[in-house]
Amino acid sequence: MELFAGLQVTWWLLLGVLLIGLGVMVGMDMGVGTILRYVGHSDVERRVALNAIGPHWEGNQVWFILGGGALFAAFPLIYATAFSGFYVVMMLLLWTMIVRPLGFEYRSKIASPRWRNVWDWSLFVSGAVPMVIFGAAVGNLFRGVPYSFAWDLASVYTGSFLGLLNPFAVVTGLLALALSMMMGAVMLLNKTEGMLYQRAHKMAGWASLAAIVIFAAEGVWVGRIDGYRLVKAPAPGILQTPLMQMVTRAAGAWRDNFSAHPSLYLVPALGFLGMAGVYLATRAHRNLLGWWCGALAWAGVIGTAGAALFPFLLPSSSDPSMSLTVWNASSSRLTLLWMLGFTVVFVPLILWYTSWAFWVMRGKVRAEEIAHDEHAY
Amino acid sequence: MVNGTVVDLSRVQFAATALYHFLFVPLTLGLSFLLAAMETVYVTTGKPIYREMAQFWGKLFMINFALGVATGLTMEFEFGTNWSFYSGFVGDIFGAPLAIEGLMAFFLESTFVGLMMFGWGRLSRGQHLAVTWLVALGSNLSALWILVGNSFMQDPRGAVFNPTMMRMQLRSFPDLLFSPDAQSKFVHTSIAGYVTAAVFVAGVSAFYMLRRRHLELAKRSFRMAALFGVMATIGVITLGDALGFVAARVQPTKLAAMEAVWKTEQAPMPFNLIAFPDQKERVNHAAVQIPDLLSLLVTHSLTGTVPGIDALEKRAERKIRNGIPAVEALETLSQDPGDAAARAQFDAHAKDVGYGFLAQRYAANLAQASPQEIRRAADDTIPAVAAIFWAFRSMVGLGLLMLAYFVMAVLFTLRNVVQDRPRFLQAAVWMIPIPFLANECGWLVAELGRQPWTVFGILPTWMSVSDHSVGYMVFSLAGFLLLYTAFIIVEMVLMIRAIRSGPEPAHGGPVVHVAGAQEPHLGG
Amino acid sequence: MTNTPIEIEGQPMKTLAYFLLFLVLAFGVILLAVVLGDRGAWYFAWLIGTPLIVLVSAAGAAWLDTQEEAAAKGAAHKAP
Repeated sequence: MELFAGLQVTWWLLLGVLLIGLGVMVGMDMGVGTILRYVGHSDVERRVALNAIGPHWEGNQVWFILGGGALFAAFPLIYATAFSGFYVVMMLLLWTMIVRPLGFEYRSKIASPRWRNVWDWSLFVSGAVPMVIFGAAVGNLFRGVPYSFAWDLASVYTGSFLGLLNPFAVVTGLLALALSMMMGAVMLLNKTEGMLYQRAHKMAGWASLAAIVIFAAEGVWVGRIDGYRLVKAPAPGILQTPLMQMVTRAAGAWRDNFSAHPSLYLVPALGFLGMAGVYLATRAHRNLLGWWCGALAWAGVIGTAGAALFPFLLPSSSDPSMSLTVWNASSSRLTLLWMLGFTVVFVPLILWYTSWAFWVMRGKVRAEEIAHDEHAY
Repeated sequence: MVNGTVVDLSRVQFAATALYHFLFVPLTLGLSFLLAAMETVYVTTGKPIYREMAQFWGKLFMINFALGVATGLTMEFEFGTNWSFYSGFVGDIFGAPLAIEGLMAFFLESTFVGLMMFGWGRLSRGQHLAVTWLVALGSNLSALWILVGNSFMQDPRGAVFNPTMMRMQLRSFPDLLFSPDAQSKFVHTSIAGYVTAAVFVAGVSAFYMLRRRHLELAKRSFRMAALFGVMATIGVITLGDALGFVAARVQPTKLAAMEAVWKTEQAPMPFNLIAFPDQKERVNHAAVQIPDLLSLLVTHSLTGTVPGIDALEKRAERKIRNGIPAVEALETLSQDPGDAAARAQFDAHAKDVGYGFLAQRYAANLAQASPQEIRRAADDTIPAVAAIFWAFRSMVGLGLLMLAYFVMAVLFTLRNVVQDRPRFLQAAVWMIPIPFLANECGWLVAELGRQPWTVFGILPTWMSVSDHSVGYMVFSLAGFLLLYTAFIIVEMVLMIRAIRSGPEPAHGGPVVHVAGAQEPHLGG
Repeated sequence: MTNTPIEIEGQPMKTLAYFLLFLVLAFGVILLAVVLGDRGAWYFAWLIGTPLIVLVSAAGAAWLDTQEEAAAKGAAHKAP
């Protein structure tokens, strides 16, 4: 049974890696969508901005799809409970996300200014809204979500749509938005020149400062809200359902893990370091370094959330003892093992060919090139 | 208890979004390999016309691909948002192929599709060819893993029910991957995509030949599509037969509905060429039959029989009675996982536990389920016969039509006279919607025929849904209706514009055109 | 313009590396064929059939090129 607990923790970590991938790669593309109208004033500038991520956004988006698939495979009860509980929000997320591929692909196919303007707005919406919703979803994990299970583990959501828009969740949404705008701006710094570069430079500075402020504020705030504490449960590594444990709520309980292991404070410190790194590196026009600092910032933020919540994945606010944890929401040992095998083989491959694709498309995007390429966005 | 309207609305939403998604997927599956074929000729012969072909059809490929990706996101969400009980119940098995699809296939396809479009000037010929092949491989591997998931719903293999966890758990991954249903369904669907792309490319090429435009491109594209199509159509029909053979063994109710067989008859059984099935009276009106053919087609022998619906329903009734004690035991076990008597009762009846779930819909208290309630549950095990019967016949009929069309197309193109056959070319243009229609019919046969189960024989559809209000369902359905209608209009407009404006002229280096002069300038 | 595997004369280490790479690939293909042929006859059929369909249609296009050339030559012979 040792192996099973190890696999569960491994998959919890892998989920974190996927979320970081999602934040860095999808967040970057969505950030470009969000700031598109600000950094690009003329149509040519906007096309340059879109073509900076044009060859990569499809591949990047798979981080999101893989995140959903991995959640389904490794923690099916989380996938089932969260997606159905957040129904209205999920639909908004979905609808804004499915407009995005069309925005990229269809925007520049017709030369009418009105047509392109409509798609530019849709790229703004499909960049900003999903990032706020991602963040808000993570924020809600800290507040807990009102749901319970019937005897056959059918989940029943008892809250309303508006309950998901509590202040803590919305502010977490803004943090995700700020980070994605920051990464979008840094990406443009690496790929563009001229006025576009100037405006992206300004944006990267403001967005990284905003992220620092929000992250710090949430760090203080989280000490004042009710956290969850696992009081009694079957030992980790024993196959269990959410009907077999006892959980209590206590103010400041989300700091428990940090108090027990003070070295964990390194994780949020890395987050701050990353954000400050983006600010300083972009001021010095060291833009590639800035990009890696941005990735570090995402890792720090998501790592901090994970470190605070562990072993909780989705606490129930209406029935805390039915909260979903790493121990009771995971798939069986055999599934986790097979999935780990596929991950070990394919994730290095993915990282390898993704870097190759970025290397092939290296260098700045120039307006003349786009005008001469019928495949450009 | 779950609200029946919500079950129906959830089914409508899933079916509508899946059918819509499935309008775009097959073209991606096939066109990607046709692009690979064109580019292979370009790289081996070095003739620029083939590069022009790969780029032109690549442009149409991308217009279609964008909607395939967008609507695929919906499918990834919907299991969780609308089928949450299903997701928790089978996530241990069903989630794995979905995640592997992302790892192995969709990442490959999506990363390289960007290079396929943007990499023409940056990659060597050989590298670009490899990229195109990888896109084709990725998109088809994607279909593979999705259909492995789907085949688990049709014929649950490699899994076992765990009464403590109240869910299905993986027992053997190879059994899941190599299930006969998964194999024949993947190949059938993938090749149906090849056929779809072949009809599309041949049809658009015929449109150009009729107007005497882009003749060099059109003739070559038509030749390639015709050969690609005729071989693929033969494959689709072969695999369709294999799939029927599998269904006969694992999903007898689906097969009985496909053939509208109400009563088991003496072998060899006749085939209903045309019939108007009446589910209430359990008879076929105005049936036109061909003697002996059904036994021959389905069992590949003259002595095999196809069990009729009446017999299958009686069998279901027995299974329901046997499954009820298993469900009762489960309820006890969820209170006290250590109850040995309940565990023994469950184990004794475990194989029919799904049928016990079926009865739960009508009998609030299973211990006192009345014969009427059990009969209603048994009646549920028979899917919608008329719809499946006609969807199946439409699919087969359209498939045979496409075979005839491609044989003729090959005859004309190999003699290099197709450009002088205007009536045939006109027909080729009109053929374009046919494979799309056949694909949708195929989906309907497979998924309507699976009812009333989400996991055949184990998990009833009515139990699988998320517990939403009717209001939520109306909200999401309205949203999808609005968005998807807008999408299809935009897609058709762009596709027709791209076809009308045709390919760019042949060139060696980067494309030079005067679009820059017409660039609109938006106000800051 | 590019370094294709064919231009590797006089680079014994590189030749060896390519040789080993292709050897491994060949063994991979054999292993796949054995496993798939045994367990997944239809998967195997797809794996063989798809390249076959692609190659036949590619050959068809190449043949069209020769047909066109022959027709053009025939027309040129008749014309004068």
